[in-house]
Amino acid sequence: MKSNPSYMQEFTKGILKENPVLVALLGMCPVLGVTAFIFNGVGMGLAATAVLIASNLVISLLRSFIPPQVRIPCFIVVIATFVTIIEMVLNAFQPVLYEALGVFVPLIVVNCVILGRAEAFASKNSPLRSVLDGLGTGIGFTLALFLLAAVREIFGQGTILGPDPDTIIHLFGENFEPMALFAQPPGAFIALGLLLAGVNVIYKRFNIK
Amino acid sequence: MREILKLSITLAFVGLVSAALLTGVNNVTAPIIAERQEAEYREALELFFPDFERFESRQIENDLYDLIYDGSDRLIGVMATIGQQGYDGTIFYNLALDGEGKIVGVLIISHTETPGIGDVINTADFQEQFIGKSFADPLIPGDDVDTITGATISTAAMITSIRRVVGVVAENFLGYEAATVDLADVPDGVYQGSAPGLVGPITVEVEVAGGRIIRIDVLDHDETPTYFIESYPLIPELIIAGQSLDVDTKTGATLSAKGIVDAVQAALVTALEANGGGE
Repeated sequence: MKSNPSYMQEFTKGILKENPVLVALLGMCPVLGVTAFIFNGVGMGLAATAVLIASNLVISLLRSFIPPQVRIPCFIVVIATFVTIIEMVLNAFQPVLYEALGVFVPLIVVNCVILGRAEAFASKNSPLRSVLDGLGTGIGFTLALFLLAAVREIFGQGTILGPDPDTIIHLFGENFEPMALFAQPPGAFIALGLLLAGVNVIYKRFNIK
Repeated sequence: MREILKLSITLAFVGLVSAALLTGVNNVTAPIIAERQEAEYREALELFFPDFERFESRQIENDLYDLIYDGSDRLIGVMATIGQQGYDGTIFYNLALDGEGKIVGVLIISHTETPGIGDVINTADFQEQFIGKSFADPLIPGDDVDTITGATISTAAMITSIRRVVGVVAENFLGYEAATVDLADVPDGVYQGSAPGLVGPITVEVEVAGGRIIRIDVLDHDETPTYFIESYPLIPELIIAGQSLDVDTKTGATLSAKGIVDAVQAALVTALEANGGGE
């Protein structure tokens, strides 16, 4: 084994250096699908983070017990179990978020960020490192979803804290005509492209590699 | 052999633990979810029917109808729970009708229409135009209710579905009978009639000879062609074969099929009225 990076590095690498969305471009389906509102984007990010931490922990604990030939089915079952638990818990205690995320909650199962971390990291590292990795990657994922959702909600709807009518804040007054394109799927691609361009410029400028 | 056994046991073990875990969580969350959904439904019932005391559920085809009774066991209304194909997936909604068949409220339960376009079905502006309407109203886009530009399919689907539900409720629970036409009273001739389909009006030409319908042609319609072929010429053939408008309209295009039947009915009613008949 090569020399181990510090625990702090395990945690921070997923946020900037190896950000799953902004750098690795993984898990694009929920990234594009649920980012019409900040609330939904962050909710999806947190749900995925919870699954990521739990599945990383369990897979790391089971890593010597699971034979390599059947590791992928085992990982998927572990991930699917946690996703289903999250789905039931959300439906019971966070119905607004559950309705908003809709079909994207069960689709966390096939979010390649989670399977990717299970396969590339948790199956080879200690439980503590795996949890830190899951936490860092999850925060990075949530951060990226937040940035994209912020761009899309502010330009596409002219609001923040929507769509719940109790909390929604209209930023620009009555006469503002939102750029509805950003609320639509094509707008998600365009916004993501612009965001990636911006992130690349910043990464180059500050030499983040 | 030992290797395969080991793999199988590992997989089975992982599956079992997962199933046990899920069962446990489900046991905790399922009652909470059911309770919340029932509370939401009761809240809606109390909003639309302040005198609501109890309800009885009836199912007609795929739709659920709750008959609402007040404290003195009088039928004060009907709450329908409907699934209607919209532009993108099924729109589930509640339609509340009072004891006279008048609409008191529309409540969208869930939908997957396009955000910013089709989701206007969930706005008060769109829903309020139905309030007070009943089976006696035409409920036809452009006539007494309006579709919303840019979201024609979503809104037209809602209007058509509401028109159907209002009719079903009036006929089944409130004792209003749809007008019936005795074919023997219809004089020979060629008659035209039209009725709303899913998208727009369907106009038919009906030829009656010797108290029998011998020909039905659709002259004009705006239905989706790929769906319309499922009801035309099938539905006219069924009507002619049975000499009755009581045909099974459960094709892949139920609302278009129903439109054809209604248009034929309208043609026959016109025929009777033109001849001063039709008691």
